Amino acid sequence: MKKRETTKLFAPILGAILALGGSAVHACEVKVGVVGPFSGGAAQWGVAMKSGAELAAAEFNAAGGIPTDKGDCKIRLVEIDTQYSAQGAAAAANSLANEGVKVVLGPVGSPEVSGIKPVAARHRMLLMVNSYAKDAIGPKWPLAFHVSPGASGWALPIVRKAKERYGMKNVTIIAPNDQGGTDIAPVVAEAYTAEGIKTKEEYFQRGTADFTALVTRVLASKPDAIDLVSSPTVESGTLAKQLRVAGFRGPIGKLGGPGTEEIARIVGGYEALGDYYYFEPIVVDEEALKMRDAYKELTGKDSPEHTFFYLWGAASRLVFQAMKEAQSAQDSEAIAEKLRALDVKDPNIGEGLWIGQSFFGINQELSLPFGMGFVHNGQVEPLIKMPAAVDK
Amino acid sequence: MKKDMPYSVLQRERQFSGSDRVTLVALLLAAALPLLTSNILVQSVASQALIGFCGALAVHLMLRLGLLNFSVPGFMAVGGYAAAIAAEYGVQDLFALLGIAFSAPVVLAIPIGWIVLRLKGVYFVLVTYLLTEIVQLVIVETPSLTGGTNGLIGFPPTTFFGTELISGPAVYYTCYAAAIVALFVALWSTRSYGDIYDSQAHNETLAQSLGLDTARYKAQAFPVSAGVAGLGGFALVQLLITAHPLSFTAASSVNYIAYVLIGGAASLLGALLGTVVLVTAITQFSWSGEYSLGLFGLLLIFSVLFMRDGVVGVFTKIAHTIRGRNQLAYPATQGDPT
Amino acid sequence: MDTFLLALVIGAMFSAQYALIALGFTLVFGILGVVNFAHGSMYMLGGYVAYWSVSTLGLPYPIAVAIAVLFTGLLGALIEILLVHRIVEDHLSTLILTLGVSLVIVTGVSLIFGHEAPQFTFPIAGSIPLGPAYMPLDRLIVMIVSGVAILAVYLLIFRSAFGRAVRALSIDQSIARTYGMNPRVLFAVTMALSSGLAALAGALVTPILSLSPHAGESVLLTAFVVVILGGLGSIIGATWAAVITGMIQSFAGIYVGGSLGTLLLFVLVIAVLTVRPSGLFGAPARGA
Repeated sequence: MKKRETTKLFAPILGAILALGGSAVHACEVKVGVVGPFSGGAAQWGVAMKSGAELAAAEFNAAGGIPTDKGDCKIRLVEIDTQYSAQGAAAAANSLANEGVKVVLGPVGSPEVSGIKPVAARHRMLLMVNSYAKDAIGPKWPLAFHVSPGASGWALPIVRKAKERYGMKNVTIIAPNDQGGTDIAPVVAEAYTAEGIKTKEEYFQRGTADFTALVTRVLASKPDAIDLVSSPTVESGTLAKQLRVAGFRGPIGKLGGPGTEEIARIVGGYEALGDYYYFEPIVVDEEALKMRDAYKELTGKDSPEHTFFYLWGAASRLVFQAMKEAQSAQDSEAIAEKLRALDVKDPNIGEGLWIGQSFFGINQELSLPFGMGFVHNGQVEPLIKMPAAVDK
Repeated sequence: MKKDMPYSVLQRERQFSGSDRVTLVALLLAAALPLLTSNILVQSVASQALIGFCGALAVHLMLRLGLLNFSVPGFMAVGGYAAAIAAEYGVQDLFALLGIAFSAPVVLAIPIGWIVLRLKGVYFVLVTYLLTEIVQLVIVETPSLTGGTNGLIGFPPTTFFGTELISGPAVYYTCYAAAIVALFVALWSTRSYGDIYDSQAHNETLAQSLGLDTARYKAQAFPVSAGVAGLGGFALVQLLITAHPLSFTAASSVNYIAYVLIGGAASLLGALLGTVVLVTAITQFSWSGEYSLGLFGLLLIFSVLFMRDGVVGVFTKIAHTIRGRNQLAYPATQGDPT
Repeated sequence: MDTFLLALVIGAMFSAQYALIALGFTLVFGILGVVNFAHGSMYMLGGYVAYWSVSTLGLPYPIAVAIAVLFTGLLGALIEILLVHRIVEDHLSTLILTLGVSLVIVTGVSLIFGHEAPQFTFPIAGSIPLGPAYMPLDRLIVMIVSGVAILAVYLLIFRSAFGRAVRALSIDQSIARTYGMNPRVLFAVTMALSSGLAALAGALVTPILSLSPHAGESVLLTAFVVVILGGLGSIIGATWAAVITGMIQSFAGIYVGGSLGTLLLFVLVIAVLTVRPSGLFGAPARGA
């Protein structure tokens, strides 16, 4: 009897001591920047990236945080909206530098990345960026890492599979005439040409809402297939819709940014979309979906459905792992060294590798297994998981 | 030249007005900023404000004539790109680049002005908007010269008597140089022609009937405004170390107009205050993620409805209330004189 | 020859859309003197209200369009009464004010509906063959509605008491007031009409193209160009300018591609304005 009563008293006291002790151990914080468009047209990318980072941070914090000379510190994310502009990104980098932040996740768009790189280099910040630009990373920026391969990595394997299935002899590529378009379209065109498929490139003015004229022009040369590459989701949806309305029955491809569901909605459903093949940066299978559950458990919120959530979750995990191994959130060079040497193995996404030497001149592009999707007869076929892209 | 001008009942004192003096002093003091604080955020916001100030001055110079100018980002692009291209050809000296950044837009603005300045009111507004869009299209279609959609990256740094300006404070001083030159140009321009400008804004027909050559003053103001914008473009390109078309979109023209309006359209001080207030506000809002654009919109609505003479107007009212005066001494009012 | 005919047909389609969008813009321009930067967001709002009526309320599409027009019209009137009217003489400030309003509307819609495009398609599919060309039925309906709207607005402004009152007010407010015309009411109604027209365009066109919080941005620029080319406050001018703009976009887009059509259009506008500084049919602008 007496023993139980003592235990009853003991437990809460012990608990209090542990809690106090625990919180004393976790009293310090390390800051990591998260930079991207959280408002405006590109907001869904930014918000998805942010959530991926939040997942990784919550996971690492639950496991103890980052060991530094001040003890085990919790990761605190400092989030800044760039409004998808170079100036916004440069300003964000300066704001973060002011807060003593040395590790930055993001930005997600080419203009932002162009804006942030020089400023981040000046402050010796480590960057993990997404961008379709041909010079997204390079030997000039030893601390800049690329979160996902561009078309140079995955276009060829996808084109091969598309050719197997559809047997197209020629393809017209449609892209916007801004950096996002002009950097990707030629790379994708090369992949088609390498497979013996004749290619034509058509560019449209950014901001075009009605593509009827372009559609008429494109269809006049009777292409077997049409690839929308990195055209933004809304424009791609409208293009696909108008192509189908104009009577085009061939396959429509999207070797570029994700957004298949939204495109299908705009077209009016998967049935109306017709034959469609596309690149998915990450295969969201059962394993990947566990990340959604983990996010819900750790933060209490629903994660966005956008693929970037998973991609950035995996990338953030690697960055934090490198920080853990370097035992610092400040020594960007040491963290970069650890990051480069890390085995790319994500518990939910799979095994990959670092690539980039042949295309960028620096081996700092994160390559994870990606996916290729097909839509046929109104059905979204299960994604084909392709092994991580390798350097040529 | 001044002797030729007919006496105008609308003339006022020709020296620097009080507010001009305050503006000059404030900007001169700003030179000390990097010495007072090493806070990178403050330096960054201040650099952006200096750039914005050039844009605001460019808007203000035309607004004094009653003309709303949306071509500021276009001429900023001309100035910024001209300097970047010159740097690639080996011209790195700060003064030379400032000269190029100012003159290139001026040279373009003279023939363009000849076409565009016949237009009145809202027609002028739209055509200047189109000019900025045209500059964007030209940049995109000439990749060999301008780097096209990728912009020009990694051109050689600006030098000041041989020293490369690459550190944070050095970049601040580059922006500062552009802004101070812009202010002096604006002071010269408005001091010599200020009263004439304002009389035109008030009533062009009346001004013409008094023998003022309104077309001539517009034709002078437009290139000067373009040159001032070019200086701002140069500073922006230095800050980003990139000349990128997306830094000069037509949509951004609204920002510079907002700076002038919110600060107070009647004076150069208004341009300065408006820029400082809004650049700080935008930086602050960027921490609010998805709400940031909406917050900016609310700020615009509030300012337009409740701060009719801008920030300067608010301060003036307070000052006069304290001094007990009833009437505002400011002769010029903002807005379209219909 | 086939392509030429097709280009004509497509040009006609574009023209009808542009005319509908420009109509409301030139009304507010001509009568209130306000450059309504929120016009594009009214278009977008029309699309969203129609979408919401169809998907959440389950109403038939024509009713949804009507609701969109009424709701947005009412909103436009409120904006005029509560915000714009205080400063309606100050053309610079109203420009900034309406810009602020549009930012708030776009942010609000993004927060409520999200950033992604919803599924919103036109209920009627199919097209009518026109020789070697074809006219999609949805576009045909837009053209008919557009034509009716232009006619109706023209009759309203030039053949009705309301129109007379509103035109009088736009010429000289103080005199018009002495005749008992109330600018508060008349301006609010004009704004309601303009917003309603924008919403009509949005509710009809976004299912054909796409709907998203930023659907209004390109619309604003188009409205600007068409209205200025046609001339401030002129309905006839706006209609002609819409035809010219539509044809240029169509032919340049089909035969050349890229940004040439846009560049050509801008250069044309400047060229026209050099020769006719008030646009094709416009009255001289007020102010300096």
